[in-house]
Amino acid sequence: MSSMKSTPQKGLSNLEYHVLLAMATEPLHGYAVKSAIEAESEGALNPGAGSLYRVFGRLMTRSLIDEVAAPNDEQHPGLARKYYGLTALGEQTLASEARRLGAVAALAAKRLGITE
Amino acid sequence: MRLLLTKVLRLFPHPFRQQFGDDLIEDMLAEYQRAASGGRGPKLWFIGTCTLSLLRSALAEHWSPSWTGVKRTLTPRRIEATMLENWTRDLKNAARTIRRAPGFALVTIVTLGLALGANAGIFSVVKTVLLDPLPFQDTDRLVQIAASAPGSDFPDEFGVSAEFYVHYKEHSKLLEDVSTTNSYTNTLRLGDRAERVRMSSPTPSLFSTLGVVPLMGRLPVSEDENVVIISHALWSTWFGNDPEVLEKTVWVNGRDQSIIAVMKSNFWFPSDDTLLWLPDELRAEEIRVGRFGSRLVARVAPGVSNEALALELTTLAKQLPERFGTSENYARLMEQHQAVVHPLEEQLLGNIKGLLWALLGAVGIVLLIACANVANLLTVRAEQKRRDVAVQMAMGASRAQLIRAMLAEALVLSALAGGLAMAIAWTTVPLLVRAAPGGIPRLDDVGISIATLGFTFGVSVFTAILCGVIPAVRASKIELSRLREAGRGNTSRGHWGRNGLVVAQTALALVLLIGSGLLTRSFLQLRNVDPGYNVEDVFTFQIAPESAHLTDAATYARFHTDFMDSIRALAGVESVGLIENLPLNEGTRGARYRTEETGDDEGAGTQLQVTWAGPGYFETMEIRVLEGRTFQQSDHTSSLGNALISRTTANLMWPGESAIGRRFTPEGTEADAETWTTVVGVVDDVLQNDFRQTANPTIYHPLVQPEPSPYIASSPAYVVKTRRAETIGPEIRALVKEAAPGAPMYRMFTLEGLAANSMLQLKFTMLTLGIAAALAMILGIMGLYGVLSYVVANRKREIGVRMAVGAAPGRVQLMVVGQGAKVILAGVVLGVAAATVATRSLSSLLYQVENIDVATFAWTSAIMTAVGLLATYIPARRASKVDPIESLRSD
Repeated sequence: MSSMKSTPQKGLSNLEYHVLLAMATEPLHGYAVKSAIEAESEGALNPGAGSLYRVFGRLMTRSLIDEVAAPNDEQHPGLARKYYGLTALGEQTLASEARRLGAVAALAAKRLGITE
Repeated sequence: MRLLLTKVLRLFPHPFRQQFGDDLIEDMLAEYQRAASGGRGPKLWFIGTCTLSLLRSALAEHWSPSWTGVKRTLTPRRIEATMLENWTRDLKNAARTIRRAPGFALVTIVTLGLALGANAGIFSVVKTVLLDPLPFQDTDRLVQIAASAPGSDFPDEFGVSAEFYVHYKEHSKLLEDVSTTNSYTNTLRLGDRAERVRMSSPTPSLFSTLGVVPLMGRLPVSEDENVVIISHALWSTWFGNDPEVLEKTVWVNGRDQSIIAVMKSNFWFPSDDTLLWLPDELRAEEIRVGRFGSRLVARVAPGVSNEALALELTTLAKQLPERFGTSENYARLMEQHQAVVHPLEEQLLGNIKGLLWALLGAVGIVLLIACANVANLLTVRAEQKRRDVAVQMAMGASRAQLIRAMLAEALVLSALAGGLAMAIAWTTVPLLVRAAPGGIPRLDDVGISIATLGFTFGVSVFTAILCGVIPAVRASKIELSRLREAGRGNTSRGHWGRNGLVVAQTALALVLLIGSGLLTRSFLQLRNVDPGYNVEDVFTFQIAPESAHLTDAATYARFHTDFMDSIRALAGVESVGLIENLPLNEGTRGARYRTEETGDDEGAGTQLQVTWAGPGYFETMEIRVLEGRTFQQSDHTSSLGNALISRTTANLMWPGESAIGRRFTPEGTEADAETWTTVVGVVDDVLQNDFRQTANPTIYHPLVQPEPSPYIASSPAYVVKTRRAETIGPEIRALVKEAAPGAPMYRMFTLEGLAANSMLQLKFTMLTLGIAAALAMILGIMGLYGVLSYVVANRKREIGVRMAVGAAPGRVQLMVVGQGAKVILAGVVLGVAAATVATRSLSSLLYQVENIDVATFAWTSAIMTAVGLLATYIPARRASKVDPIESLRSD
């Protein structure tokens, strides 16, 4: 029997959220995701390669992302990269997390009296 | 650098390395190159931090794996695919595990297979007979209408009279259509072939009421006369599916009737052996008022409740005396009259419905018990594998995975059992149908259908969940600390689940046992019923002589008496008799009669059954003559106006007085010297239809009676008393060929066979339920025995300690038996409670036994307890034989 630690089925960590976010437009390979996260979190997140791929592993186990065929036109130095993209469930999960964060942000804005 | 990275990467678990290793190295190399371009310092710093970070990740990945190598497929429907893969893998594993334990698998599969097979079989009958829609349109709007008259001397419920039909049809606003319905047997002739068949003379509106159309031909209309509609069965058996049948005629009810329609093969009404319908319109000006006894079938307007309809019909009936100008008695009866409305479906299937559901319930109970046993077996297996499970959990297997794996095992087992069940059903359903009592509509259509397959599949899956879920949940609750326990026995804690199962098993088995106990008592009581005649050594048959010279009652009578003489001459024939309606085979017809002492008001007479008896009938059947004499030869050949009556008739008509020499006549006839019938003898009551009913008051006319229009006994039943009742048929057939060439001989039975037939429904249910109860009890006892054996084995150490400190073997035995007894008693109490409700479904089958019969409840409970205690005894003995030294040393 394969061993598998059950992962929490609900909620996303900050890093997981950003990984999904990075893949939202198109499937990416690991390094591209890392770069995207660094840019999109404005430097707040800078995952080590080991941690990043562990997040990938968790998200794959939860069927939120999956390995997809690499785009043919893309050429890379070195070995061929594996590309990862959102599954349908991943898209749903990302969307609902985005809504949740949006609501939380709105609540914070209301409490703090910030108006845009 | 690449070499270093490759080495560090080896620290990651294999699945992770395989999935992400290459990319990880590429990423790291890219970062390294970026760092290296910044000089020696950043380069070394990067190598250090990178190695540390990877080490930390590798450790973390081992501690809590993020990726375990769930097989990759490039589909977006990852979830379903994963679930499917997991299940496939678990099922494959389960199949492997089961193959490794063939004994366990065999016991489980056979136990479940038998129970599932029984369910599949009974379900296929229930499906065809009860669940398939009746061959009518909107059956839920079809009702049967009868009458009641609380406070009158009429039965609780009785058939209405023709004027009800006419009045309802004209004036009811809630009825869309209404028709009369009846059912009787009469001779049907086509060329040389003549048989007594079941037929019906409804009003032409029957077919529109039921909402049916014929296969070919047209539906009858009010103006039709001498027309007949035939069933598909008659069309295929008598006419060989002749497409030209519509131009033909058959001879029935004393005249030629032309065939106007053939019904579809699925149509039946009111019973599935009705072969033809003779439409007969009732017209207001022709009907005879106050002849109660016919039921109406009607189609209710949409949305009308039966209560509302009954109210309207009751009100309408109050107008009848005025409209038809009836007697005071009739008017009084109408004051008391209340219409009775039953759903038609209930009337057509009512009796059978309870029986079949009871049987399905019984086999369902057997299945539940089988499930409990298999659940027990699975639990024991799970306990044996406890250490494996603990190891798996330590390695990170989730509870969901463990439960899934165990459920998979149950699923594989029950799927195999389901296969076995279909095979069992396939072979036993035809036997079941053959053994089933008559009178179950559509029984011949019963077979294994897609629905049966689906039902068996569904029940199998349900069974798997039922069997697998308790052991699975229990097994997955194992704490890791179990790893340290080296298989030491524990005490009795934690057995509530299994005990609960055994309590339930005992209770369910007891319910079945009580049910079959009640039926057995009924059966024994019915066997002891004295029907008023002796069924031993009597052969019976009918012939339909047809000859130009057999035109009137007297010549018919002479033909019969002559033919009886030739039978009497056969070797071994003790006596021969003749009767129009043979008990256990044909019902008699009813009519109202009045005596000279009662007036001629409508409704003033007494409802009696009437039949015609030839010479030798009472002697052959050994019916006791209580008073007076039986018929003489002269009574049969010339109309002397004599009759015999049964004891109940005598008591009803002339209570407390001698009936001999008294006179009676049908109610409503002009009484003159010609039409009065004189009682010359009183005979004992006989049970006409079956052994459960009380005897009907009956009149026996001689063959040529009564005046003014003598009844023609064209096709009565002969009864022949002979030791060779089983074998005499062919010899009599030869005689028939001689006396009436071309006359068919049919309805050949032994009276014993008919008597057995009349108890077939009870016997069938008794046997089916008996088998189910026996099966349930054996399974239940096996469960109890298994649990106690297991408990004893598990408590060996504790028992050893007890005995080491001086507990006597007897005490130990008592302890184990006591534990079993508690479970049994709980089961018995629960079972008795459940049986008080469950046995209600058997009420219609019981004879002179209440459904809550204290004696039956008591002795079945005693049997259950005794057998249960016996099952506890073997484990108890084993417990008392525990060697303290050995049990303590064994760890």
